[in-house]
Amino acid sequence: MTSQNSKTSNRWLQPRRVTVIAMHTFTQLVRMKVFYFLSVFALIVIAANFLDLPQFNGPEAIGVGELQMLKSTCMGVMKLFAVVFVIAATALLLPKDVEDRTLYTILAKPVPRLDYLVGKIAGVLLLVFVSLLLMDLLMTVVLSFRTNHLLVDQLSWAEARGWTQEAIDSERRDIIAQGPTWSFQGAVFAIFLQSAIIGAVALLLSTFSTSTLFTIILSFLIYLIGHFQADAADYYKATAEAGSNAFTTTMTKLLSLIFPNFQLFNVIDAVIEGIPMTMNAIISLTGLSLFYVVLYTMLSWFVFSDKEF
Amino acid sequence: MTSETAVEIRDLVKDFRSPLRGVKAFRAVDGVSLRIQAGEVYGLIGPNGSGKSTTMKALLGLVAPSSGTCSIFGKDSLKVDSRNDVGFLPENPYFYKHLTGAETLRFYGKLCNLRGKLLENRVTELLELVDLTNARDRRLGGYSKGMLQRIGLAQAMVQDPRLLILDEPTAGVDPIGSRQIRDLIMTLRDRGITVFLCSHLLEQVQEVCDHVGIIFQGKMVKEGRLDDLIAIEDQTEVVMKNASPELMEKIRTLVEQEESATLLRMGKPRTTLERLFLRETQIDKK
Ligand SMILES: Nc1ncnc2c1ncn2[C@@H]1O[C@H](COP(=O)(O)OP(=O)(O)OP(=O)(O)O)[C@@H](O)[C@H]1O
Ligand SMILES: [Mg+2]
Repeated sequence: MTSQNSKTSNRWLQPRRVTVIAMHTFTQLVRMKVFYFLSVFALIVIAANFLDLPQFNGPEAIGVGELQMLKSTCMGVMKLFAVVFVIAATALLLPKDVEDRTLYTILAKPVPRLDYLVGKIAGVLLLVFVSLLLMDLLMTVVLSFRTNHLLVDQLSWAEARGWTQEAIDSERRDIIAQGPTWSFQGAVFAIFLQSAIIGAVALLLSTFSTSTLFTIILSFLIYLIGHFQADAADYYKATAEAGSNAFTTTMTKLLSLIFPNFQLFNVIDAVIEGIPMTMNAIISLTGLSLFYVVLYTMLSWFVFSDKEF
Repeated sequence: MTSETAVEIRDLVKDFRSPLRGVKAFRAVDGVSLRIQAGEVYGLIGPNGSGKSTTMKALLGLVAPSSGTCSIFGKDSLKVDSRNDVGFLPENPYFYKHLTGAETLRFYGKLCNLRGKLLENRVTELLELVDLTNARDRRLGGYSKGMLQRIGLAQAMVQDPRLLILDEPTAGVDPIGSRQIRDLIMTLRDRGITVFLCSHLLEQVQEVCDHVGIIFQGKMVKEGRLDDLIAIEDQTEVVMKNASPELMEKIRTLVEQEESATLLRMGKPRTTLERLFLRETQIDKK
């Protein structure tokens, strides 16, 4: 009466098992009706599309400003959704499994605890990714529609004014730079990366915190600290004697290891302003995010492997 | 039947540290040792809070022993490999509400590396076995307590393990369902599957278990083969069917004629395990 699976090894991070847990987490979240949020997003995008803009830059800048406004509203919402969602979902799911004792039934199967953790975070991130993808699609459609519309408007307006061909071309370039560029897609991807990091932070916190509320609040705090820590580090460096204080430099380095430096994600704002994002920037952001996600997941595992229920 | 050891627990001690009260740890399990041979049905009984569930959790690696060791088929419980051949039904089981009965079994099956046609057949077979075929596509959020218990039992058996650990398998199940579970355990025993269960329904424990351990305040107070435990050596029981009062009277006079023998009682046989249980757990209270 030997089961056929008793021979298969139970090494860590077996892709199939992690996928099973990730897909299960994904379904769980979908059935919690998370996607309803997307309809709210659609409404916001449409509303933002019809928003009237105060004219602060003179008539020739209106077009560019309108597009920026649309992008910054929508990306703000996307970022808010991604961060709030990733923190809430990660902070809720793990304690829920412990409380409901569903975790017993999973860990009583040949499932290494690392696989469980990785599966959970992967499931949450998959949902964030899919949501962002859908929002990005909607956003791209609206933005390109709007850009084309503006292009026609502004250029005919410029021609009527008797602008030189050079000026018109530059105006056209300016408008297109604000449209749905690859940099724009890169910025959306950066939002995903940022939420992945903060999700891993929430995962780590939820492995040792006893209350979901504590996890959520602390995760948001770390998110904020991540935004300000580079400023703080600069300030520190400026006040301390330049180069002479080894302690401060070590502390800053340590701080940046523990708290992710979210200032690197300011490229998102730059993209909203129409500044292109380089491939290098995307690659280094991906590398950095991967580093933090792996670091925090390993730390979570370290805590979780000794945990009792 | 093979004489392989299915479960071995040696001098298990489990202390729970209280985060609030700090220093004083609570000893939930105190030096419990037990061994279950493959093919046996072992029943662990004891009052509430005596450490039954904690012992089971330690065996599954859900809690780490403070000292002592646990192993399943020779594999240390703290290693993932020990869980290949074991199915567990926790007390008051609670599963993912958003999944249907079939999806639940599929999920646990996949965690055990089952897939494809094999998995689908297994799911259907198990739903049939625990009498939930009708509720196959209903979400667990709408299951009753007894139904949850039964889907939990099916979930434990999904990879056809050689050992089943059942923490109060019949809690909350109606008399008919609980009889079905008892019958199921007997069928499993006939197929050579080892069962380690704990229950407060002593009558059922007496019916299905070969071995019984009584645990009280974290200590194993009595352990052994059920037949040996409840046999009273200097007494003999005669159980008859359709005995007439005249016959009983004859026996009474016969016994009276005998010098060394005394008749203690006549009447209907009782659940002796229950009496043993009460005796063992009351002596220690004093
Ligand atoms: N995680 C924990 N932290 C602290 N104490 C615990 C923990 N788990 C169990 N205990 C304590 O250990 C003791 C044994 O608990 P256990 O659940 O093993 O009892 P049990 O025999 O299964 O009881 P029941 O019949 O009520 O299910 C109890 O006093 C309980 O309070
Ligand atoms: Mg119990």
